[in-house]
Amino acid sequence: MSSPAANQGDAEQEGREQEGREQEGREQEGAGRKSAAASLVVEDLVAGYGGVLALDKVTITAEAGTITAVLGANGAGKTTLLRAVSGMVRPRGGRVLLDGTNRAGRGPEDLVRAGIAHVPEGQGVIAELTVEENLRIGMMSWPGLAPRRADRAAALAEQYERFAVLADRRRKLAGTLSGGERQMLVIARALVSRPRVLLLDEPSLGLAPRIMTQVMDMVVRLSRENGITIVLVEQNARAALAIADRGVVLNLGRVVASAEAQTLASDVALRHHYLGF
Amino acid sequence: MVEFLQFTLSGISFGMVYAAIALSLVLIWRGTRLLNFAQGGMAMFTTYVAYEVIRQTGSYWAGFVVALAAGLVLGAVAQLTVIRPTLGKPELNAVIITIGLLILLEGLAGIIYGGQFRSFPTAFSIIGLKAGSTPLGVSRFDVFVALAVLVTTLLLAVGFRYTTAGLRMRAAAFNANVARLSGIRVARVITVGWALAGLIGALAGVLVTPSTFLYPNSMDSIFVLGFTAAVIGGLDSPAGAVIGGLLLGVALSYAGGYLGSQGSNLTALVALGILVVVLMFRPDGIFSGARVRRV
Repeated sequence: MSSPAANQGDAEQEGREQEGREQEGREQEGAGRKSAAASLVVEDLVAGYGGVLALDKVTITAEAGTITAVLGANGAGKTTLLRAVSGMVRPRGGRVLLDGTNRAGRGPEDLVRAGIAHVPEGQGVIAELTVEENLRIGMMSWPGLAPRRADRAAALAEQYERFAVLADRRRKLAGTLSGGERQMLVIARALVSRPRVLLLDEPSLGLAPRIMTQVMDMVVRLSRENGITIVLVEQNARAALAIADRGVVLNLGRVVASAEAQTLASDVALRHHYLGF
Repeated sequence: MVEFLQFTLSGISFGMVYAAIALSLVLIWRGTRLLNFAQGGMAMFTTYVAYEVIRQTGSYWAGFVVALAAGLVLGAVAQLTVIRPTLGKPELNAVIITIGLLILLEGLAGIIYGGQFRSFPTAFSIIGLKAGSTPLGVSRFDVFVALAVLVTTLLLAVGFRYTTAGLRMRAAAFNANVARLSGIRVARVITVGWALAGLIGALAGVLVTPSTFLYPNSMDSIFVLGFTAAVIGGLDSPAGAVIGGLLLGVALSYAGGYLGSQGSNLTALVALGILVVVLMFRPDGIFSGARVRRV
């Protein structure tokens, strides 16, 4: 896991050094926001479908305010991991600790209220509703029966400022958006729920390279500026490791590697074997 | 021309009842992709409740209000007790349970009230209205029927469109997974859908029973027509259900009126014919936005 990075290109090395500096900056900045951020610890999580075991005692630690990339081939258990953490799949064993409190076994309706927002793969907007209605669905997990009008307006305004393209289309049906716009909308909807932990499943899937870069940039901003703890599942391991603090590699439902993102990215054997780049 | 007007107006009045049944079917179908075969039976049962209340109190409106409340409760209770356990199981389980519920309700009504036909009162006069000296073919009560369903439909539409509870219901109906991940308690929303369906079904029962008489199977044929209306409208669309009900009501009224003395016996056949034609050419309903995909 500690192969030397001697054969790396200069440009790539430079990029990584810059990434390291930015991480230091983030740690200092993050200190002032500690109350908002939450750590996510997954301990010995076991989950499956019928007779198939998709996760076999998976343990992952995501420090508050960091980005953790979850990598691996198709069928490695990445999506099941997110589904088990968000409650869409009931774990058969293990614990899901949000800031030290075990939340395993609760349904997604409760977990989103606890602060875990899950953005499933496939740009899952509700096509029959307008962009603004999709965003308002993010408020359904807010505490209290009737949130104040001003709070609702502020939450919408915040996302429209972040995603200008959504502001222009707020009265349009979500089904009319492009793939990139849909991805922005589902992330915005998750953000409206005021998450402390954001689970992103393949946010770059099916997007043009330029749009993918925008999405990745935004993931970094959410972590740095908003202090949200992010767990990022990606097929594109190179892109994910470029923005992540730590990386976890799953294979056939087990963790085969867990280290700093740079360490994983420079481990040639691991990359060839599990990550395909 | 006068005949045409009469047939049209009376068709609209009956059509609104089919629309109400169709609407109640759509409310449940949208949430769970389940056709509630007990919808007519539930409406029949709540109409017996109204019958009993009217007999005890002498007040039509007491019976009317209690029937609607009973429909609300019956819908919710039915969902919570016998339908909820079938969630996540094969779809056929729930279908069979709704048929069982229908048989149970019809059996209960028979045990309590026997099988004889009972007359059911109307809220307003059933004497035909006239414009000048021309009979319009509809009574004050027919106008009330149409208005009651229309107002209920509009209230529902406004509620769905402009309230948070309505958005919650639409989100749960369109995409249950996204709804759950966003914190919407979908199981609860489905119960509310059943309660609303029960209420609208109860309204249809109270409105139509003066013309069908009240007996344990009194809503069976109305259910079939309501179902036809829902299919015409596409099963997914509340607006389609209402328009489907109106189209069916008017079509059956013309058939009954213009086909002479045999016409009224042909209504079931005409309804079936319309159903077959719609399913052949627009299987998603005539108002579905999506083009039919041929495989």
